[in-house]
Amino acid sequence: MLSIVPTFAWLEGLAWTTALRESPYGYPLIETSHVAFIVIFAGLVMMMDLRLVGLAFRHVPLAQIQQRLFRWQMGAFVPSMGTGILLFLVDPLRYYQNVFFIAKLLFLVLAGLNALVFHLKTYRKGETWDEDPHVIVTAWRAGAASLLLWSVTIVASRLIPNNWFK
Amino acid sequence: MKRNIILVLLVAGALCSVQPAQAHHAFAAQYDPTKPLTLNGVVTRVEWSNPHGWIYMDTKEPGGKVKHWMIETAAPSQLTRHGLKKADFTDGMSATVKGYQGKADPGLANGRTLILKGGRSFYIGSVGGPNDGAEPQ
Repeated sequence: MLSIVPTFAWLEGLAWTTALRESPYGYPLIETSHVAFIVIFAGLVMMMDLRLVGLAFRHVPLAQIQQRLFRWQMGAFVPSMGTGILLFLVDPLRYYQNVFFIAKLLFLVLAGLNALVFHLKTYRKGETWDEDPHVIVTAWRAGAASLLLWSVTIVASRLIPNNWFK
Repeated sequence: MKRNIILVLLVAGALCSVQPAQAHHAFAAQYDPTKPLTLNGVVTRVEWSNPHGWIYMDTKEPGGKVKHWMIETAAPSQLTRHGLKKADFTDGMSATVKGYQGKADPGLANGRTLILKGGRSFYIGSVGGPNDGAEPQ
């Protein structure tokens, strides 16, 4: 952990990270778009999740929801990650020691793994229950886990500004 | 249906837990509005940075001991709007800051008003501070 500190200090001292950190409009613009893209991404992911747990679009085949939402989900996910990485690079020393930031990364990875397992494993055999309002229990669990993990990720992110445990 | 009710409660509970954090971070989460302070001292360093700026200041305690302060300010866009410039600061200059004491850290404060040596005064408070008249209307 300690060996990364000089790298972070170097990053923070670069001309462009300093300029962005001190900029009156550039930083708020990136910060605001970061949140906006997350809102779009999480909202679209949760619509899929709500179908999986049987609370929304119960009579729309899962494949159709997936096909319609995926592009939009990724279209919001990529810029939300891009702006997020940028915000981190501008102030790495502040974030790496923030418990909420570390928690956020952890939940983000878990949410990603949950989605991967669902798409690569559970949904592979999806044809049999694709149109069923009640999906198989592993798929229900994937939807429930996704709802919870993304919610907790967002909550942890929102708490990052509070350096209570510094 | 029962498991869905539990799920909805869990997600709602998770999202509501963030309620105490308002604005960027709540003034009340870190600073004590009942402990106003006025600091006269020497500015050792300034971070003109987002999402908050910081003024590092040394003050002299009654016994002559030097105390180090870390004073939170608003973001560069807000400081600029209130007429302050990064170039107004030089390390080692003397200044006065009116603000509020931090809760956890005795050397932490939230700045509301900055008074420079010539008497020029600036509002440096962040959004969500107490309604104490420091902010120009």
